[in-house]
Amino acid sequence: MRDEPTRAGKIGSYVVLIVVSAVTVVPLLYMGALSLQTEAETLSADPVLWPQTPQFGNYTELFERAPFGHFIVNSLVVAGGITLAHLIFDPLVGYVFAKFRFPLRNTLFMALLATLMMPLFVRMIPLYVMMSNLGWLNSYQALIVPFLMDAFGIFLMRQFIQPIPDDLIQAARIDGASELRIYARVILPQVKPALAVLGLFTFVFQWNEFLWPLIATTTEQMRTIPVGLTLFNQEYFTLWHLTAAGSVILFVPTVLLFLFSQRYFVRGITLSGLK
Amino acid sequence: MRRLTPGPPRRARRGRLAALFAPSLNRRYVLTAYAFLIPAFAFFALMFYLPIANIISNSLYTGPQADQFAGLENYTRAFGDEGVQNSFVITVIFGAGTTIGAIVIGLALALLLNQRLRGRVMFRAALLVPYLTSVAIVGLLWRNILDPQLGILNRVLIDLGLPTQSWLNTHPLATIIAVTLWMTVGYTMVLFLAGLQGIPMEYHEAATVDGAGPWQRFWRITLPLLTPTTLFVSVMAVISGLQAFGQAYIITGGGPANETDLYIFHVFNVAFTSRDFGYASALSFLLFIVIVIFTVIQLRVGRRNEVQY
Amino acid sequence: MATPSPSRRDILRWSGTGALAGLAAPWLSGCAGAPQEDTEGSSGGDGGSGEQFTIYWNAGHAYPTYEKVIAEFEEAHGITVNFQKFQWPDLRTRLLSDFASGNAPDLCEDSLWTQEFAISGDVMSLQKYVDRDGAEMGFPDDWHPRTISRNSYNGEVYGIQLHLTCTMLFHNRTMFDDAGLEVPTTWDEFLDAATKLTGDGVYGVALNQDHSYSWPWLLQNGVRFYDPDTKELLTPHDKAAEALQFQADLVHKHQVAPVPTPGTDYSGPQKLFSAGRAAMILTGPWDLLPIEETSPDLEYGVVPALKQVEQATIQAGSSMFVPAKSKHPDLAWDFIKRITALEVETATTEEVGMLMPRQSWREEPVVQDDERYAAFAEGFDYAIDFTEPLQLTGKSGEIVELYKTLYQDVVMNNAPATEALDAFLTAGEKALAG
Repeated sequence: MRDEPTRAGKIGSYVVLIVVSAVTVVPLLYMGALSLQTEAETLSADPVLWPQTPQFGNYTELFERAPFGHFIVNSLVVAGGITLAHLIFDPLVGYVFAKFRFPLRNTLFMALLATLMMPLFVRMIPLYVMMSNLGWLNSYQALIVPFLMDAFGIFLMRQFIQPIPDDLIQAARIDGASELRIYARVILPQVKPALAVLGLFTFVFQWNEFLWPLIATTTEQMRTIPVGLTLFNQEYFTLWHLTAAGSVILFVPTVLLFLFSQRYFVRGITLSGLK
Repeated sequence: MRRLTPGPPRRARRGRLAALFAPSLNRRYVLTAYAFLIPAFAFFALMFYLPIANIISNSLYTGPQADQFAGLENYTRAFGDEGVQNSFVITVIFGAGTTIGAIVIGLALALLLNQRLRGRVMFRAALLVPYLTSVAIVGLLWRNILDPQLGILNRVLIDLGLPTQSWLNTHPLATIIAVTLWMTVGYTMVLFLAGLQGIPMEYHEAATVDGAGPWQRFWRITLPLLTPTTLFVSVMAVISGLQAFGQAYIITGGGPANETDLYIFHVFNVAFTSRDFGYASALSFLLFIVIVIFTVIQLRVGRRNEVQY
Repeated sequence: MATPSPSRRDILRWSGTGALAGLAAPWLSGCAGAPQEDTEGSSGGDGGSGEQFTIYWNAGHAYPTYEKVIAEFEEAHGITVNFQKFQWPDLRTRLLSDFASGNAPDLCEDSLWTQEFAISGDVMSLQKYVDRDGAEMGFPDDWHPRTISRNSYNGEVYGIQLHLTCTMLFHNRTMFDDAGLEVPTTWDEFLDAATKLTGDGVYGVALNQDHSYSWPWLLQNGVRFYDPDTKELLTPHDKAAEALQFQADLVHKHQVAPVPTPGTDYSGPQKLFSAGRAAMILTGPWDLLPIEETSPDLEYGVVPALKQVEQATIQAGSSMFVPAKSKHPDLAWDFIKRITALEVETATTEEVGMLMPRQSWREEPVVQDDERYAAFAEGFDYAIDFTEPLQLTGKSGEIVELYKTLYQDVVMNNAPATEALDAFLTAGEKALAG
């Protein structure tokens, strides 16, 4: 599929991509516009696309009305910590499932996937009791430890490690490399794009997690951004200008991380494209 | 070449017992595997299996404190509960729509972006951005945009002289499926792109030499070799589709008249509006079983199609 | 928040998890190695340091006047208040998780849950405090009489009303004057006015997507949610169907109102009203501020509820209760006394326009001199908490969900009211029996 596309095919591809990109990006630009509107403009029944005067003060208002700096730090520590843990543990377990043969492999793998099939909120209360028992409520441990690894990441890594030729592993074994060394020197370099994907998606998911931080924190200073954002709504209506400003702030780190990790996707693609 | 992975699928299926005592199996690797797995499963036991076991035991109780033993009453109740049946049907439609949509659109976009095109990086970024935020924000944003009276979409349609929409009233389920796809196709696209890179070029070259057209090469080479990715995407899409919650919680509140009453949203209301944790646990466990069945089927089908390099 | 270990009973209830976690605690702590991040915030599992007083509050109600009360309260008792604010649904999720695991805040603002939690034993009776301090603080005599029973159970007081509101009819004066119309007092007059005012991008009325806003119509038609004597829902049935059909007809038959769109926000009608795109809405005092904000020049009035069988509307607002596991019930009571003082009520009305339950508050100039506040205060006398008798069944959560479906089916989807009502009654009876 990587041969030179025909001229007509190329134009067609551009048209499709431009249309789809517009559909995905324009609503988000609208959110950016909302974040710069006055409260009156966002509350109005006649929505406007762009504010008369951009209200950059909406962003500073967030910090004045709540410990928003704390929220940002908490979110970074929690989502960052979990992402690091996933990058360490998930590929390792994924590798075992992809490249080792051992009794009960399929059963254990299914048992692993089963952990994804219970919604968090039904597990939440037992977990809450556990954290309370450990004296961990309202701490970073409580926000991080229950999510140190997950079956999503393990499954993802298994799928990407599986196609790596076994010969590579065999050759390393014959050379006398230890299993950990094989993993670190042979396997990991092969799956860099997948690791970038895993890191990005884990971070995005945890960065936006709402329910667990709502339950596991017991002071406003320990809240993460998604939970902290609920402070800005009134009882009967949404303060759109502040909610949108908060959402834009919520967006920035994930977009930055994407731009950073994107390099790895790109390299993978261009390398094979150059062939 | 000696394979560590199950080689031809048929051989692997011959039986686990055979694998256990197969003389060719190197004990050392089995021990290594378990050495890696034991800490992982200890973690899962503590953070997942124990709470899940807890939920199963809770499902046998009733009352606001979930402290009155009720036997299997919650389960028999679930099978006669029209609200539950309604939300189950809706959720299956939702799960099917979001899974098929995510695979078809995501793969199509990945194939487009796998060509040598100018601005590829930009397009990829544009397609993925909706996934970089949360369902809650996406939900709030689209609810705001789509409101028939107050939303910006109808304002723009009026200004352009076009007929207005009220999709949240007329096609609520299709609308939340579309919003979900808007958010997730970029993510499946990225996964497919990563998968496409893993396909060795030699296969394509060989096929081209054999005179296969692009369409034939897609069906004969790309799609089969992409199976690990497709399997992953579809398993995950089914799991998350059947457990979707935020779309109903934020966008529609389950309405109008329960037309978007997604199963987990329904269960959440049983737990936190009606405060019936026992029943909510039973309903969660029933969905758990359904998802396990779907996943086992997918893994079976996927394993059959998996190609060994 | 002081969060002691759950009791043995809680650990047993949530089976092995808690107990096992307890065994694993030293090992896990050893692994984690990190010190407690926020020691002032969490007193951990050591039984509570006693220096924290935890309050759960609605995020929209964190008024400056209340912050001041909190500061004074902290000063007076040498205690730190951990003031946690949530949106209502999140507050409820949080609270139920707390109850299920044996934790609790010391004081909680609630939205119509007092009776439910009194029945389940999660909230403590305040009767001994009321007996002691009632006369001094004016409870119950100075509270609006309609706020007492909804916060009581088995003849004892479990909650104290904090805010009192109700929904009334808002009308656009300019439009009424231009059309030469009088303010409606009955359904017929209402329909007539709505019909005449519809047109040219204006709807006569805008209905809310939220089902609770439909209740003034049912109450005005003499309908009650639950009859404890006959154990029937939505009685009399024909009047209930009629009231629902009337609203559906406004939308679908007479087309004097837009179709409400399902969602989780209540502000749609207010926005249309503010923009001059709806001539009438039914809403509460919470919409006064947004109208002021977006359309300061709008000429509008708040008028009494309509009368069909009777004049009636829905009562709303919030109360405070003290969880049974509160570690500082005496302090919680003191806080309740401070925050419901007349000066605080008056100042809050002045600063943010919230309405209050004290009878003496009604006599204050801040209320009497404001035509709209005064109109709402009049409404208090015939406003009804429509869920009250239903609360005592312990099934109100489930039944209200069923009613929501009924409302949306009739008003949004235009299902015939009698048929939809039958479906509701069947499901409702099952829920009550179950």
